[in-house]
Amino acid sequence: MASLTKRRTKRSKFQGDVWILILTTILAGFGVVAIYSASRYVAETQYGDKWYFVKKQLVGFFGGIVAMLLCARFDCVKLKGKKFRWVALIVPMILLALVFVPGLGKTNYGATRWIGIGGVTLQPSELAKYGFVIFASAYMSENMGEMRTFKGVLPVLLSGAGICLLIIIEPNMSVTMCVGLLMLAMLFLGGMKIKHFMVIFIPAMLAVPIMIIAEPYRLSRLSAFLDPWESPKGEGYQLIQSLYALGNGGWFGTGLFHSRQKYRFLPFAESDFILSIIGEELGFVGIACLFAVCGVLIYKGIKTAAHADDFFSFLLASGITLVYGIQTVINALVVSGSISPTGLPLPLISSGNTSLIITMASMGVLYSVSAKSKSTKPDRKFIQ
Amino acid sequence: MAVTFLFCFLFFRFFYVQVVWSEELGYRALDQWTREIPIIPKRGKITDRNGVVLADNSTAYTVFARSNAIRDKESTAALLAQTLQLDFETVYNRLTKRKASEVTIAKRVEKGKVESLSELLLDGVYYSRDNVRYYPKGDALCQVVGFTSTDNVGTTGIEKYYDAYLSGEKGELLYETDLVGIEIENSVAAYLPAEDGYNVELTIDYGIQELAESALERVYAESSPKSASCIVLDVNTFEVLALANYPSYDLNEVPRNDAELLNTLTRNHLVCDIYEPGSTFKVLTAAIDIEEHLRGNNRAFSPNYIFPSSRTRAVDGTTVKCWSNHANGKHSNQTLAEALNNSCNPCFTDIALAIGSETFYEYLSTFGFGKKTGIDYSGEAYGLLLPQTALRACDLARIGFGQTIAVSGIQLASAVASAINGGYYYTPRLVKRIYADDGYVLQKNEPILKNRTVSEKTSNILTKMLEGVVTVGSGKKAYIEGFRVLGKTGTSQKYLDGKIAAGKYVSSFVGAFPADSPKYLALVTVDEPQGAYYGSVVAAPCAGEIFQGIISLKNIQPSVLE
Repeated sequence: MASLTKRRTKRSKFQGDVWILILTTILAGFGVVAIYSASRYVAETQYGDKWYFVKKQLVGFFGGIVAMLLCARFDCVKLKGKKFRWVALIVPMILLALVFVPGLGKTNYGATRWIGIGGVTLQPSELAKYGFVIFASAYMSENMGEMRTFKGVLPVLLSGAGICLLIIIEPNMSVTMCVGLLMLAMLFLGGMKIKHFMVIFIPAMLAVPIMIIAEPYRLSRLSAFLDPWESPKGEGYQLIQSLYALGNGGWFGTGLFHSRQKYRFLPFAESDFILSIIGEELGFVGIACLFAVCGVLIYKGIKTAAHADDFFSFLLASGITLVYGIQTVINALVVSGSISPTGLPLPLISSGNTSLIITMASMGVLYSVSAKSKSTKPDRKFIQ
Repeated sequence: MAVTFLFCFLFFRFFYVQVVWSEELGYRALDQWTREIPIIPKRGKITDRNGVVLADNSTAYTVFARSNAIRDKESTAALLAQTLQLDFETVYNRLTKRKASEVTIAKRVEKGKVESLSELLLDGVYYSRDNVRYYPKGDALCQVVGFTSTDNVGTTGIEKYYDAYLSGEKGELLYETDLVGIEIENSVAAYLPAEDGYNVELTIDYGIQELAESALERVYAESSPKSASCIVLDVNTFEVLALANYPSYDLNEVPRNDAELLNTLTRNHLVCDIYEPGSTFKVLTAAIDIEEHLRGNNRAFSPNYIFPSSRTRAVDGTTVKCWSNHANGKHSNQTLAEALNNSCNPCFTDIALAIGSETFYEYLSTFGFGKKTGIDYSGEAYGLLLPQTALRACDLARIGFGQTIAVSGIQLASAVASAINGGYYYTPRLVKRIYADDGYVLQKNEPILKNRTVSEKTSNILTKMLEGVVTVGSGKKAYIEGFRVLGKTGTSQKYLDGKIAAGKYVSSFVGAFPADSPKYLALVTVDEPQGAYYGSVVAAPCAGEIFQGIISLKNIQPSVLE
C-alpha cells in the first residue's frame, strides 16, 4: 500500500507497483528453499550432489531477476509493434516445431517437450503462452471493432489453436488446456461476442471427451483421481503420495526440511508436486500463507490491468496475470487431488528454469504496465 | 469472482486433506515409511514328563541384504561369498537382482561366521537370529512330537497341534527408510521384542517310551510286519505314557523329498488309523455282559452261566464259527471267564445277541466308539460303526467278538482302561502342561472325566477274569513271574476291497498290571506279521517285555508272593 501512496504523490515515469517485483522475488526465493528441501535426498542419491537442483534453480532465479528488472524498465508499449507481435507468435511456434527434430528434441517421461542445446534445455511451450498473450493483446487492441465479428476473431483463434495443436502432439495435455483456457479468457476480454464465444467454447468442451478417448491413458488418469487407491501402484500412485504428504503436514507441518515423502516416495517432488512437500513441511497454515501471497500477486495483476492506460496494456496485464493464475490454480487442484493429475509446474516455485525466467520476466512486464499507467482509477471501459 | 471462488475452493480442499483427512492418510502412509526386520522368537521346547528334552533349538542366523542399500556390490558379494563359503557369482547375482528389495543370502549360518561378518560393517547386510529345530532324541517319539517346516511352523504332531503355544510372537525392528528401503538419515528405529514360545511338557515318560520302542523294534525284526505300534496309558488318568510306531524316522532328517515315504513314516497309526480289533474287543463285550447282569438285566448271562459247547451259531442264515475246532473237549462247558481264556467266539455272539442292539450300542457309545476320544493330536480317526438302523443280527453277532467294527488304537486302549479302572472314562492326553522358561505355567491338564462306563464291581470282576487270561489263557506270553498281569489277545483278519485278505492279520494284545490295582495299560498291535500271526504269539510277549521293563524302571515290587 505504501507504494500506491508513493505513486500518487510522485508519479515518476518508472514508478510502478513495486509489490509485484517484491512478491515475485519472495515467491521465487521461497521456491529455491522448497526445492532444496524437496530434492536434497533424491539429488544426493541420484546425482551425488544434494545441491544439484538448487544450483540449477539458482541460475534461473538470478537470470529471472535480471530478466524481470530488464522487462520492468522496458516500455511495454513497444511490444505492440507490428513486427514484434509476429515475432512473439512465430518464434515460439517454430521452437515448438523444433521439439520434434531428432537430436534437438528431448524426450522425458514419454513426452517430447524440451529442446536441448548443449547443456541448456528449453521448454518452448512456456514461451508460447506469453507469445500468444503479446500477439493477441496487440491484435485485439488494434482491431477492437472487428472483434465483434467472427472473421475478426479468427487470427487470434487460429494462432491459439495452432499453438494448442503443437503442444498437444508433444503430448502435453495440461499445458494445452492452459493455453486453451487462456485463449478463451483473452478473447472474452478482447470483446468477443458471447454468441461467437459459445461457438468456440462448446466444441472445445466436446473435444475433451474425444481427446480422452483418443489417448486411453488419460481415462485411467481420470479414474485414478476419482479413486487413487484403486491402482495404488499404477495411475493412483502419484496422487496417493501427494495426499500422504499433505496429510502428514496437518495443521502446522512437520517443519521445514522434515518432509518424509521426499525420500523418493513422491515423484517430481521438486517440480510439479512441490506444493505437496510445502504442505507437508509447513502444514495447512503454510499453504494458506502461500496462497495468500499468490492471491495478492494475482490481485496486483488484476489491479494493474484495471488501471491500464490503454487497451493493449489492459489485455497484456490481464494475459500475464491469467497465465500465472491459471497455472497456480490448476497445479494446486492437481496436488490436492481435486482434478486428474497432469504435469504442470507451480509457477515461480517449481524447479524448471524456462518457466521461472519467463514467469519472472512476465512479472517485470506487468510491473512496467503498472508503471506506465497514469490514472489511479480503474478505467471502467475495459472491464465491462 | 471466478478467482475468489477457486481460491476458496482450494482453501477448503487443502483444509480437508491436511486437517480433516490427515489422520487416516498418515495411518496409511506409515506402512510405506518403515521397513521391518523380523525378530524370530525362540520356539518352545518339548519335553517328556520328567523334563527329558525331545525338541530344542540350535541358534543360527539368517543373513540377508537390501541390494539398494549396498554401495559396492562387487566387494560386498566377494566378502559374503568368502565368509559364508558361497559361490561368488550366485551371491553377486542375488545382490544385483533388482526385483526384490530384500534378498536372503544364506540361512542357518553359525554364530561365529555372523560375528566375523558384522565386524566388516557391510552396508545393507543384515542378520537375524532364527531358531533351527533340533531333536536331541532323533527318532524317539517321532510321530507324536512331529516336525516343523523350514520356516519353523509346526506341520505334524505336537509341533502342529500346539504350534500356537510353541511358536511365540514375532518381534520387529523397524527402520525408517526411503522408497526403495534405504535407511534414511537420523532414522529412529523402533524395537518390538519377540515373545518366546511356551514349552510343552508331554505326559510321555521317556523311559517307558524307550522300552516300547525297543520292544517294537524287536517284534519288527522277528516278524517283519508292515508296522508295529504300541501305546502305554496310565489307567487312572488316561495320560499317554508311551506312544510308538515302528518303523520310525529321524526327526532331524525328515524325508521331505519322498512324499509317500514321509506319509507312511509320520503317520501315527494308533490315533489316525483304524483296524478291526478282533478278540481284544471281547473284553468290552464281557464288561457289558457283567454290568448288565449286575444291573438285573435277566437277558445278560451270569458269570457262572455255562455257555453251550457247540462250535457254531446260526444267525440270520449265516454261521458264526469259533476259531478253534472244539475237538477233543476243547472250549466245552465254559463260563465267561473261560470263554475269555479260550477267546471262544460263539460265547460272545451269544452275549451280543442276548443284550440286543439297542443296549449294546448304548454301551459302545459309552465306551467312546464311533467318535473321537478328544486326544490332543490332529487327525484323530472316528472309527467305523455300522449305523444301528442298518444293523442285522449277524452283524451284531460278529461285533460281539470284535468283527464288523473298526476302531483306532487309542479308542480301544481308552475303552479297556475305563473297563478295568472302576469304570471311569477320561479324555486321553499327550500334554501335561504348558509353561514358560521362567516357570510360569500357562496351562495344566488335569484328567477330565468324560463319563462312567461300568460300575466298580463290574470292573473288579472283569479284572480278575482278564488276569486269568494271562495266567492260564491265551495271554500267557505276557505273564511275569511274581506280578499280576491282566490282558487279552487278538488276531484279526484284514480286509482288502471288502473281502478277507488271505494271510494278512493284525496281531494285538491289550493288557495291564498290576491286576489288583491296574496302573499301566499297554496296547500292542502288529500289522501283517510274517510267519506266526496269533496275538498270543506275536503281540503278547511284546507287551510282557514292556511290562517287565516298567517294573525294573520304576522298581516295582512283586505283589504276588509265592
